[in-house]
Amino acid sequence: MIIKGGFVYDPANGVYGEEMDISIEGGKVVEESRDGKEIDALGMLVMPGGVDAHAHIAGAKVNCGRIMRPEDGRRGIEPKTKLLRPQTGYTVPNCYAVGYRYARLGYTCAFEAATPILESRHTHEELEEIPIIDKGALTLFGNNWEVLECVRDGDLDKLAAFISWGLSASRGYGVKVVNPGGGEAWGFGGNVKGIDDPVPNFGVTPREIIRGLMKANEILRLPHSVHLHTNNLGKPGNYETTLATLKAVEDIAATRDRQVLHVTHMQFSAYGGTGWRDFESKAPEIADYFNSHAQFTMDMGQLIFGSATTMTADAPLEYGNARLLHAKWSNHDIELEESSGVVPLVYGRKMPINAIQWAIGLELALLTKNPWQVIMTTDHPNGGPFVNYPEVIALLMSRAKREEELASLHELASKRSSLPSIEREMDWNDIAIVTRAAPAKILGLPEKGHLGLGADGDVAIYDINPTDLDPSKDHSKVKEAFAKAKYTIKGGEVVVRDGEVVAVPQGRTYWVDASVPEDQAAKVKADLVEKFAKYYSIQMSNYMVQDAYVTHPRVVKAGVI
Amino acid sequence: MREIRVVPRRDFRVPVEAEKISPDIFAPLTIEEIRKVEVWEGNRKQALIDLFEISGDGDPAKPEEVLIKLDGNFSRVKRVGEKMTCGRIGALGDIGMHAGNGMAGGEIAIKGSAGDWLGREMRGGKITVRGDAGDYVGAGYRGEACGMRGGEILIEGSAGDYLGEHLCGGTITVLGNAGDFPGIANRGGVIVIGGDAHLPGAEMASGTITVRGRARVLPSYQYQETVEIDGLSLKKFLGDLVDNGKGELRVASVEERGA
Ligand SMILES: [Zn+2]
Repeated sequence: MIIKGGFVYDPANGVYGEEMDISIEGGKVVEESRDGKEIDALGMLVMPGGVDAHAHIAGAKVNCGRIMRPEDGRRGIEPKTKLLRPQTGYTVPNCYAVGYRYARLGYTCAFEAATPILESRHTHEELEEIPIIDKGALTLFGNNWEVLECVRDGDLDKLAAFISWGLSASRGYGVKVVNPGGGEAWGFGGNVKGIDDPVPNFGVTPREIIRGLMKANEILRLPHSVHLHTNNLGKPGNYETTLATLKAVEDIAATRDRQVLHVTHMQFSAYGGTGWRDFESKAPEIADYFNSHAQFTMDMGQLIFGSATTMTADAPLEYGNARLLHAKWSNHDIELEESSGVVPLVYGRKMPINAIQWAIGLELALLTKNPWQVIMTTDHPNGGPFVNYPEVIALLMSRAKREEELASLHELASKRSSLPSIEREMDWNDIAIVTRAAPAKILGLPEKGHLGLGADGDVAIYDINPTDLDPSKDHSKVKEAFAKAKYTIKGGEVVVRDGEVVAVPQGRTYWVDASVPEDQAAKVKADLVEKFAKYYSIQMSNYMVQDAYVTHPRVVKAGVI
Repeated sequence: MREIRVVPRRDFRVPVEAEKISPDIFAPLTIEEIRKVEVWEGNRKQALIDLFEISGDGDPAKPEEVLIKLDGNFSRVKRVGEKMTCGRIGALGDIGMHAGNGMAGGEIAIKGSAGDWLGREMRGGKITVRGDAGDYVGAGYRGEACGMRGGEILIEGSAGDYLGEHLCGGTITVLGNAGDFPGIANRGGVIVIGGDAHLPGAEMASGTITVRGRARVLPSYQYQETVEIDGLSLKKFLGDLVDNGKGELRVASVEERGA
């Protein structure tokens, strides 16, 4: 296939809006294609397929949200067609809708951001049913007893061996850490208050857990860095915890060409104030720090007004949300590994806190100078559903749109944030970075997020002529075009044409197979035999995700040997 | 008034999803066009004319000037008048579930009885029922935080269980009895029951419920005083206290435990 004549934005390869052809054959970008197929992209915007590095799209907590919210199911109903299966849901869409809707946006890859090992079979059962896109899942390690014990004993090699085992047991892609220590403390009705607050019964601190996991992550040379949801997330004044966390790991170096730590949905971790009354944005402080520390990356966690379903392994946070909002609520204990919770809520334009939160996400993206350090997410569906990405793109590209929005919000959004004074408007290149090139780089996916030779043949074509459209003024056209890709091409196959899904191939599931020395693996095995015998409610043989759960795997090798 | 008469051609064995029977949808169409409007009968798409005889004034009119007369057995015809904003629907007999779903204005008058979920999530307008109504009158559908937010429902007969569940506004009047848990999770609506009811106002946060007959009152309600309303002496309670509620429950005759 040859994609002819589009304005190509491929920032990873230094291509900035050049009119050029892209050739794809055998699912990959090649020098020259001879299959005779042609896509006319003349006068249109061409980018690599979008990559979402953080969304909650599969697994037990997503399903808990669906069960808890039949009213959400009714909000996104699209009947089946000859080609497509029925779709339901807005914040917690069914599996089919997840695949179709990403594809319509021009996205070809999305990663589930948090799966406990114990729930991974469920996660993969859902990932298998998400059509079209490639996907993967990050595995939760931040409150696992074996991790806490290795950190307590200072045995990093054994910790690395456990991570290797945990990734294999969950068919997971990377190390996700959520409120380290807090989830374990929650099992006893508590939480940790900061990075130096010891975890009950283990005596280790979040600082030690984060440092230990980061070092083990680097010992294993994993493609992705540790992916951190900070302590005290969602609380006023938490930017101090966030900065203290980053300062606590400045001495750790990455063993691969990528960030050493990814802090996720930073919007929820950039708050000032001593309580909700003097709640304010500390995004400028966070962005300043990132501007002088290139080894860290983050994603926005942008808030979208309207309905959201918060879901996280941060169980004490969800308990607090439920009490505060008097909302429906579920909390869950995941045996030796994690806790979790789900709470639906509505973000209101006239709610002062929500309006400030909305501004914070945008401040973070616009004040961080290097777009490779801050990628676009809504922490779907915590900040809002991913189908709103076109709205976020329009906001990043147009100060006029931001001003229009600010005028409709509670006035504190303007008074307690720096957003009104920010002039910066992202250009097409910035957008290509924050929605595809950087997420792929941050996840460590060398074949995604760019259109160089050998890259996956994943392309998004939008009906926008970047040479005559002024995104600052015509932001509504930008939003419209990004909401319905003219074409989405996945592995060389046209899957979306004129905003409609026209083919439904099965995507692949990434997971990381990290090797460790046998003696370390044996030490971990011995511990696990004991833990399963003593504590787990199930046998180890019923616990591991078998190959039958991942029918189209893409195994990435890493490790010590 | 532009009058349109709709008569079932047969007794339906599976439900017909008739949300298209609404003044807003019929108004701009000619009779010929209305006959072609598609609805689902079970899992089959049908034109209205396949299921109903449709007659009346042929030319389009403003929706507020449309009167739809339903003549015959509509007890398996669901969602009539869904989201209607104005105009009138008059049913000479019974009507099926979900009549007046989310309606915002206009009037539905039912001479027979109504099925479950009558006027669910209604926002405005008026529904009157000469006979009885089923369960969940004016309620929110599964999972919804708010049922009816505005408007008025009058049932001259009796209502089923969960009358006005999750009411966030509006008024429901039942001249007969209500079943179990009327006004459950009330958040600001007004319910008046002429006859008896069982355990009204569970989880009520605000609003008022008046039972002019007998009712068993939940133990989480606190007696306050006796009040006189429309010549009837009623015991006034505050609750539901398990939910920190500030709702007002008035009951003429309190059914004692074990009675
Ligand atoms: Zn998340």
